[in-house]
Amino acid sequence: MICIYFSFLFFALGALTTFSKRLSYSMATIASALAFVTALLGMHTTFASGTYLLLNGFSLSIGMDHTSAIFLLIASISWFAISLYSIDYGMNYSKKMPIFFNAALFGMFLVLIARDALTFIGGWEIATIFSYLLIMEHKHSFKEAFEFLAFGEISTVSLLVAFASLYLKNHSLAIIGAHGTWIFLLMATIAFMTKMGTYPLHTWLIGAHSRAPSNVSAFLSAPLTLMGVYGLVRALSIAGQPEWWGVAAMIFGGFSAFWGALQAAAAKGLKILPAYSTVENNGMILATLGLSVTAYSAHLAVLSSFAMITSLILLFAHNTTKSLLFMAVGHAKEALDEDTIDNVRGIWTSVGKIPAISILISGLSFSAFPPLIGFLGEWMTLEALFQSYKFPSMLDRLSAAFVGILIALAMGMAAFSMVKLTGYTALGYDHGKKARNISSFTMKLSEMLLSLTVLLAGLFSPYILKYFGYGTFLSGLFGVPKPFLIVSSHPVFGVVSPTFLAVVIGTLFLFPLIFYLAKSGKVKRVSAWNGGIALKEEEYFTAPAYSFTLEYIMRKVYSMKEIKHGNKRYVSVKDITTSFYNGLKHAVEIMAKSLSLTLMNGHVYSYVLYTMIMFVLLFFMVK
Amino acid sequence: MKKLLGAYIQDGRKYIILQENGKVVALEGNASEFKNSELLKNRNEYVKNVLEKEEIYGDDVFDFRYGPVTSGVGEAGVYHLYTYGERILSVKIDTSYKRRALDDKMISSDINDALKLSEEICGNFAISHSIAFSRAVENALKIEVSRDIKALKAIAIELERIYNHLYVISRLAGAAAQQVLASHLMGLFEDSLVVNKIFSGSRYLIRFNSIGSVLRFPSHEELKDVTDKVKKIKSAFSELYKNSMSSGNYIDRLHLTATLSAKDAELIGLTGPSLRACGVKEDLRTHDEIYRGIKIVSDEEGDALSRMEVRAGEILESLKFIQKTVDNLSLDKAMPFISTESGEGIGWSESPSGTIIYHVEIENFRIKSVYVSTPSVFGMSAIAHSMVGNIFTDFPFAVESFGVNFSDAAR
Amino acid sequence: MKWWPMVGISKMLTEDKKYESKARVKKMGIFRRSFHIYTIDVGNSNILNFEMRALQTPKYNVHRFGIYFAASPRHADLLIVLGRPTKKMVAPLLETINQIPEPFGVILLKGCGSSGIDLDELKLPNVVASVNGCPEPSEILAILLKISGRVD
Repeated sequence: MICIYFSFLFFALGALTTFSKRLSYSMATIASALAFVTALLGMHTTFASGTYLLLNGFSLSIGMDHTSAIFLLIASISWFAISLYSIDYGMNYSKKMPIFFNAALFGMFLVLIARDALTFIGGWEIATIFSYLLIMEHKHSFKEAFEFLAFGEISTVSLLVAFASLYLKNHSLAIIGAHGTWIFLLMATIAFMTKMGTYPLHTWLIGAHSRAPSNVSAFLSAPLTLMGVYGLVRALSIAGQPEWWGVAAMIFGGFSAFWGALQAAAAKGLKILPAYSTVENNGMILATLGLSVTAYSAHLAVLSSFAMITSLILLFAHNTTKSLLFMAVGHAKEALDEDTIDNVRGIWTSVGKIPAISILISGLSFSAFPPLIGFLGEWMTLEALFQSYKFPSMLDRLSAAFVGILIALAMGMAAFSMVKLTGYTALGYDHGKKARNISSFTMKLSEMLLSLTVLLAGLFSPYILKYFGYGTFLSGLFGVPKPFLIVSSHPVFGVVSPTFLAVVIGTLFLFPLIFYLAKSGKVKRVSAWNGGIALKEEEYFTAPAYSFTLEYIMRKVYSMKEIKHGNKRYVSVKDITTSFYNGLKHAVEIMAKSLSLTLMNGHVYSYVLYTMIMFVLLFFMVK
Repeated sequence: MKKLLGAYIQDGRKYIILQENGKVVALEGNASEFKNSELLKNRNEYVKNVLEKEEIYGDDVFDFRYGPVTSGVGEAGVYHLYTYGERILSVKIDTSYKRRALDDKMISSDINDALKLSEEICGNFAISHSIAFSRAVENALKIEVSRDIKALKAIAIELERIYNHLYVISRLAGAAAQQVLASHLMGLFEDSLVVNKIFSGSRYLIRFNSIGSVLRFPSHEELKDVTDKVKKIKSAFSELYKNSMSSGNYIDRLHLTATLSAKDAELIGLTGPSLRACGVKEDLRTHDEIYRGIKIVSDEEGDALSRMEVRAGEILESLKFIQKTVDNLSLDKAMPFISTESGEGIGWSESPSGTIIYHVEIENFRIKSVYVSTPSVFGMSAIAHSMVGNIFTDFPFAVESFGVNFSDAAR
Repeated sequence: MKWWPMVGISKMLTEDKKYESKARVKKMGIFRRSFHIYTIDVGNSNILNFEMRALQTPKYNVHRFGIYFAASPRHADLLIVLGRPTKKMVAPLLETINQIPEPFGVILLKGCGSSGIDLDELKLPNVVASVNGCPEPSEILAILLKISGRVD
């Protein structure tokens, strides 16, 4: 408990130390570390503060239970890494930024430890508003920031409605031990899905995440979307676990995963690709949550809890890996001052080995490369979906199978897009472009720590499962000692052991390779073969060209057009959801214009009429 | 339709070489009136699609360079394919790597040495180049050539056509992964090279032709051997060709790939089987009395399949022609009579891929100036034009079906 | 009797004709069983290009000697240089040689043309055979077999 207050203290100190950016970010780092300790303590004991009574029976309360602790644990890892990263990265931005940054982290912290709706909404709004201000820190990002805020407010409004319905039912605003109606669950789901950026509420995420400064992108993409997942888990614990929600969540999640992966594969922007990858990952998380709920409602307790731990592992994987990816990509973007995948080619030589390795590791994790943590997440997702044959209802089975198809496609395309990202940026030949010399010690340190986390979390994933309280899914079999084998059901349905996969891969490939490389002294090294002459700048195979084949095959979905404009040739690929919102925006604009023309046309009569109608309406409503 | 096939400057005046209604003429005139004049200007450096107005650009458009050292092209040349991935938007072909400046080298050399240089321009079109050159010299020096010599030269050029067409069809079959067909055709290709050697003493028919005569007269036994072998090739090829046309996945790869319309082909200045595949029944051989009765093979669609079919038809026609001509040969070893030692003349031949034209000016048995028009230049421009909108995997079909050579284009 | 699928046919079982060449070559014992060839045209009149294609026809069946044509110099053991280089092809030729893994050999077929730079002036490394004129496929095969040490 004391740790929470110390965390608060350091966040506050961080927000107040306006004189030094570095000191301010250091405060955030310490606070995040304390939050991590809080989470560790919370894993073992539940604790709660007393209630602070406000007027009229409303009260505020914070505390920590097992659910909070798990989410705080996951979130605080990326908070810590991002804060550490920001100590150097933040030097490129204004003095206001660390204040907003500390405040936003504080808001998220508050969300995770809130025990009542008011605290929750408070934290929610703090996080949203300061995130908005943080996005604004990047020049020319007003439109994206505003879009973020608009969707953030949609989320808040839905949340307010949800909590209002909760209050009507329980006559209290406590969210621990409360009971909710389907209205509460529906509105809360809309609110949290908006925050998670799942399809079709994802459009704000792309612009905001790609435009924001990279440390902000990292925390928007990882811990902030985590708040949405946390919210969903809480809402489900309040409202029970109805079957309709499970099926709907599976379908929305599956579609979101598919859509995110599809758009990521066609992305040209350096940060647009990871942003769409967030849509994909959150889709998978939502789908597994849905699966868990469906299984629960069908009284399949084992499958339900396996899908739940799958969701948590996916969340852990996404949170750490996506923070790492945005940090490393942002490092390159800042150093090279470029924002397309093509233009940052050759990070390995131009920027440094650590950001390149970080991009590689996160890319591999997102492409489900064993033994990284992303591999375990995706294995568990498929394994959980395979067990949908156990559902008694045909509808559930069919929808799970359909979602399985979408997610399997998504995983394939995610690997495709990650090859595109890492292949061009981290491993590609560089342009000979000189990177700016920026102080990057903590950036590299943080990237290294997080890379190590992604790797070790994969290697020792059984311990994570055990620590989260799902030790029942650990076993020993086929010569793999307990608890290194992860099983997907009881009786055993499928097994995997990332640890032993690593050992096998190591002994079969890695160690022989290292041994060979160490032994063979003379190696002829030449530049790549390019038909006898050196490759010119305009002869490099571009990243959009890499994904053109996929765009062509899926041209209906992408609404891909090959455009001839005079002598200009290009391929246009659209996220058609954006067109929907653009149409909506356009319709609202037209409506507003016509309203303003009919109502505010300068004639006194129409004003009077308007006022009178409003008065009558208000009268009836109040009455 | 008038076609511009060459442009040169002589004594400060501009001349153009035109082809119209089976006649090749050199006139005083301005090349820039023709759409393909740019092509002739830059042919030592690069060949482009002359019907493309300006260069294609775009943020994602890049130059996919194929060459100068690749096993796919096989020759020292570069294909620059401009693309945003898979779709070919524009093509530029760099001929400069293979430029040996042999036509420049001919100047002020003896006509017989120049004849050897003309054979060196393109080894697989050696006899076509050689005959076009010798005809130009014969016209310049007013040399009469006997009918039998003409017949021998015609047989040689048809032999060249056969092995080149076999080679092209085999390459197309190989590109469509029809390895059995390709291997059979390559076997026939090797056989036809052996026939060349029996007939002329050289597998590529070099050092066979001379000005006004031939350097080597095949014996009766050799001619009999040639007809026997030609008969075998004919029956083997007919069967292979018939079988290949029933293979759906082979035909599908060629059908509607790299399509060219007759109008565009003539604007580019295309000649030979590629033009005939667009439905234009034009063949300079039909205006030659030696070739009386030869059938023009043509097709309508102008795609890679049509070009392949035209070449296959021509192989059979040429084989028929050789059989017929060898039977009527009397082998009179008359030496040519040379009356003058200076003059100016134009000569042409119908090579396997189109018309080769030489314009020479001779002074004292030495070449004063020479202009060579080669079919591969126009063929490459046609490749560049027809490949627009196709995808990478169609590239070998487009390139091979036109039967062009860098050595021919770059000289 | 040898177990031929493992060791390859080392004798020319199917034909009486011997492949002969008078060219002087340097034997490379390490390629006795099999080697991969890459050919590079540096500006020959196309006759040598066609002869190399003719060598790949079923008539010569070079695979029985373990001779394969590689699609990239990086996969090759022997480089066959066809013709005399034009000025622009010298740099690509040197780059190609640079790309071949060690150990490798270079065969120069100088061709029957009169143009181009003299290959001897370039002082290319590891030249194992240097042939004037345009040899026929059977002679090229003989040269290859001589280099591998299969025939004398």
